[in-house]
Amino acid sequence: MAACRLLGLFGAGSWVGSGLFVCRRNLAACISVRVHSGRAEEKQTHFGFENVSESEKTEKVYRVFKNVAKNYDVMNDAMSLGIHRLWKDALIRMMNPLPGTKLLDVAGGTGDIAFRFMDYLRLQHERQSRRAVKSNQSPSWQQISDFYEQQNKSDSDLGSKAVICDINKEMLKVGKRKAEQLNYTEGLSWVVGNAEELPFDDDKFDVYTVAFGIRNVTHIDHVLQEAYRVLKPGGRFLCLEFSKVQNPIISRLYDLYSFQVIPVLGEVIAADWKSYQYLVESIRRFPDQEEFKGMVEDAGFYKVEYNNLTSGIVAVHSGFKL
Amino acid sequence: MAALWRSGLQRGLRIAAGLYSRDVVRRGLRASTYLSMFGEEQQPREHYQSSQTYTVAQESYSSSHSDQNGQKSEGFESEEELRQQLLSAALEFVPSFGWSLEAVAEGAKVLDLSPAVTGMLSHGPGDLVLHFVCQCNKQLSEQLTEQHLQVQAGQQEAKKTDGFVKDAVEARLRMVIPYIDTWPQAMSILLLPQNIAESLRNLTNMVDEIWYYAGDRSTDSNWYTKRAILAGIYNTTELVLVQDSSPDYEDTWNFLQNRVNDAVNVAHSVKQAGSTGKALFQGLVGAAVTLKNLSGIAQNR
Repeated sequence: MAACRLLGLFGAGSWVGSGLFVCRRNLAACISVRVHSGRAEEKQTHFGFENVSESEKTEKVYRVFKNVAKNYDVMNDAMSLGIHRLWKDALIRMMNPLPGTKLLDVAGGTGDIAFRFMDYLRLQHERQSRRAVKSNQSPSWQQISDFYEQQNKSDSDLGSKAVICDINKEMLKVGKRKAEQLNYTEGLSWVVGNAEELPFDDDKFDVYTVAFGIRNVTHIDHVLQEAYRVLKPGGRFLCLEFSKVQNPIISRLYDLYSFQVIPVLGEVIAADWKSYQYLVESIRRFPDQEEFKGMVEDAGFYKVEYNNLTSGIVAVHSGFKL
Repeated sequence: MAALWRSGLQRGLRIAAGLYSRDVVRRGLRASTYLSMFGEEQQPREHYQSSQTYTVAQESYSSSHSDQNGQKSEGFESEEELRQQLLSAALEFVPSFGWSLEAVAEGAKVLDLSPAVTGMLSHGPGDLVLHFVCQCNKQLSEQLTEQHLQVQAGQQEAKKTDGFVKDAVEARLRMVIPYIDTWPQAMSILLLPQNIAESLRNLTNMVDEIWYYAGDRSTDSNWYTKRAILAGIYNTTELVLVQDSSPDYEDTWNFLQNRVNDAVNVAHSVKQAGSTGKALFQGLVGAAVTLKNLSGIAQNR
């Protein structure tokens, strides 16, 4: 039973018995390891360049983000020289959401992706209504009043929603405060949840995004499987994450910058050297573009592609649940 | 064969163990019914032999994954087929939404897919238009092959080249008529730089097919000129078609007939000019020889 709780993902009870049997007979190493090892705490994983046990990692990552939450956005701007905004804009452009899309942003803490999503939809809506007006050369008074009504209609009326899920309450608090300041009032929900066990039903979302979050999880394949589960058929998985730089010269410069400059910035701005050391090391431990593409395909996604941004410092992986 | 089965099973089970929702079971059952429909009966039997303890749902799910294409479940056989179905479904909504991603999103809704699946089309609305053009070309090709077979079987008389070409172009343009209100938008989309290469390829393939079935077997520069001329005729007739308001587009077909006649006349005149030129040249040579003899220059005695 402990093994079942561990696996934690079997919905119907009838699966449990056969599930155990499947595991025992199953030749796939990963599942059998989970069952035979009995307790996952004994498995070792990486936390930056050190090795820790799996339950320890979750705690340590939680502590890292609790510490950096207040200065998260400032540090992002300082470390990436503002380029992270371009990366996130590129992600939304690639997503190209239509009105009525339901977005789930996992590890979305301070809400950058969700805010950009709402902005994009608002812009599209305005452009559409402007086009409709232009096609009427001399509108009647009725049409003009309809146009003003349309403009006031917000996106949530059209059915587009964004749900921001994060395991860390501090990050969500910062995000909520930002939303109030920037006046994003409708269409956003803030949910506390673990990416490896999402508190949502199956087939709920049109787009699932995870931006700079997936390298911090303990089991990447669990997260991918959860992503597959909560997406509707035809839904899209998008992952924005640091990846391997292909060009050797740029790679050398990038390493130099990462290891020499970023922890120093962390110490100066946020008085936290170790969190930013972890950040830089965790980037190095994350699988490269092709390997991660393979992992996404294993979770059951189709048409998996990746785009390198800034010559490979960051990559956007995209897959469809078909 | 057994090794293939085992690896397929492994993969299926690994995925099945991860995907635990009811939908998986439903999909697996659906997939298994599809498979049995297509006559793959020996697979479930092997399943039973090697895995008596697995539940039926798991078996059917893994059998769908041990399909050699290894591509899909959900009743679609591959993502390519899904794409074709999506684009064909989207064509129905084109008259109301235009050639745009909204039409594709409506098509996705019909197939029970999320509208986010429009992200699969790397060229956006261009993919929709190109799909339609490919479909029309395929239809035309089928019609021409059928005509050809009928002529060979003696059930139909072979048409003359210009009549054949005119009929083929007319048949192809008639396929556009249901979408004629939005066709100018489609034409402009095809001219965008990211789509123009593919659309030119489609045009040349279509023109090549028409000439082949018209009986052209030329191997010299005529091959190029004929195709260039026909491509020109097709494009200009298309432009006339979109602004034609006569009943049943008579003006367009008259325009087409005139262009084809022009092309034929040009071909005749070129041939005539050639033979006239040759005759003229021979006449001149004869006159020169006569003059030479008369004047006695360069006599070889």
